[in-house]
Amino acid sequence: MLETVFSGQLLFAAAVLGVLYAVIGLGLNLVYGTMRLLNIAHGDILMLGAYAAFWWFTLTGLSPLLTLPLVAVAAAGLGIGLYVAFFRRHLASGAHVAVVEARSLLIFFGISVAIQNAMAWAFTSTPRAYRYLDGVWHLGDTAMTGNRIAALAVGVGVLLAMLVFLNRTLFGLEIKALIQHREAARIVGINVDRVQLFAIGLGFAVAGIGGVLLSMTEQITPFMGFPFTIGAFVVIIMGGLGNIRGGIVAGFALAFVEIYLVTLTSANLRSILVYGIFVAVLLIRPQGLLSRARRA
Amino acid sequence: MNARAAWPVLVTLAGAVALWALGQAVGAYWQIVLLNVAMWIALTQSWSVFSGLTGYISLGHVVAYGIGAYVVVSGWGMLPLWLLVGLAGLASGLFGLLVAIPVLRVRGPYFVILTFGLAELVKYAVLNVETMLGKSSRLIFGAPGTETLLLAMAGLAAAATLLRHFVGISRFGRGLAAIREDETAAETIGVPITRFKVLAFALSVTLPGMVGGLMALRSTYFEVLQVFNPTISFTIVTMAIIGGNEDARGPILGVLFLVGLSEVLRSASPQLYLICLGLVLVGFVTYAPTGLLGLLHGRRARR
Repeated sequence: MLETVFSGQLLFAAAVLGVLYAVIGLGLNLVYGTMRLLNIAHGDILMLGAYAAFWWFTLTGLSPLLTLPLVAVAAAGLGIGLYVAFFRRHLASGAHVAVVEARSLLIFFGISVAIQNAMAWAFTSTPRAYRYLDGVWHLGDTAMTGNRIAALAVGVGVLLAMLVFLNRTLFGLEIKALIQHREAARIVGINVDRVQLFAIGLGFAVAGIGGVLLSMTEQITPFMGFPFTIGAFVVIIMGGLGNIRGGIVAGFALAFVEIYLVTLTSANLRSILVYGIFVAVLLIRPQGLLSRARRA
Repeated sequence: MNARAAWPVLVTLAGAVALWALGQAVGAYWQIVLLNVAMWIALTQSWSVFSGLTGYISLGHVVAYGIGAYVVVSGWGMLPLWLLVGLAGLASGLFGLLVAIPVLRVRGPYFVILTFGLAELVKYAVLNVETMLGKSSRLIFGAPGTETLLLAMAGLAAAATLLRHFVGISRFGRGLAAIREDETAAETIGVPITRFKVLAFALSVTLPGMVGGLMALRSTYFEVLQVFNPTISFTIVTMAIIGGNEDARGPILGVLFLVGLSEVLRSASPQLYLICLGLVLVGFVTYAPTGLLGLLHGRRARR
């Protein structure tokens, strides 16, 4: 039992998943935090990124990591397009937060169903995977595949870059200000519309990057996104709205809980655990994220 | 009962009889279409009793459907059909009561996501139980024909429509609508919000359990992933929003619109149908949030 808990193998698996959850949660945090848009299509953006990496690698044979800039730009474009088409005017009209949340939830729900089925229509629902950097490296008695090491490294790089961006640049600080207090941000002269446009682009770009990383370690299907949307919500509920460091800690915590519980029980129970954790977290914090946000 | 109160009852019952009579006159294909119409009306009206009136949008109503289907399939061959369908309704109603109190503490959009998560949780839990029992798909022998199912389903559709209508015009329904407008204010003026919400939720999932029980007999095998398919919840919500929320006519409009769309598109490709379903939902939420009913009223008002 004890050797299971301290095995490097599990720690490594949990770290890789944790970085992914942290990246995905960060993307959702930017979109939800700045605009209160409940993006339940977040996991589907991930799925699109994963498919892009898959086809790129399958068709060209080049490293899927090369798709990162392209996927990031395309995902950002999608986010900005949705913002302009559906949310810009509604947000500018000063609608109540509850209305913004409910309306955006339904819109993203429709978009999610449309995206999933469009992908299933185009590429069938057959699970796909590719083998890239699948050589095994040994560190002590821990075996690590190259693709997981790469995913971990890129994920950590993205998180660090985002931390620096949000804490050290004026634009990043403007995003954080908007997350903390929208009206106050407007009063001190922040161009709210421009920051929102940028935040949704950045949030979608980060999700797309997460998808590329995910495709290197897991099978991809058109319907793979929703569990990751749920994971992202768990991360921002536990970590706190707009709290980027909290989200990173929560991402790792969720991954550790998931990996260890699955190992101690059975792989069949994985879905039950993910949704069980989600339901439990919401029942413990029924007021959702806002109470925490006021303190932040 | 005075004439004004009797009118909707007569129309509803006449509609149900017409649906059934039409089923006698048409071929097997259209019987199934009619069965689908009756099924979605029963589901969407039931959904509307809770979600339409209180504004707490449930994305998890497929749970009731799945539980009902599971009850009927588990007891099939041991008990008569009517008793099984009754038990299916009872089981999903009890499930509703059980989860309502903790789940309804969660407000607004978190409630919506929670219902979806809960539905997935129940789906995987049932799937694991079935795998452990070694019964991941069961065969169903001797199921009743489409005509019997259509008769029963038309009855459920009428019952759900009347339930939605009478709850909507009752004191209870006004209380639920007050919760939708402003929950805190409703509590202040003396609406027993917790009791009302829990009761409405349990009422709202009872009939879908019976619907699921009947629909399980439509195919000759039972598969957990099929009766707990989240697409069912999604379709219910879309139908209700497309139709409009104001009274019991809205869901019927929404059902007719989407079943029509599905007839046109499903033969081309089921995915294409779902893509359109998603886009139609986005379109209505963005451009016509009051639904078809609201559009009709708006036109009348402008005239």
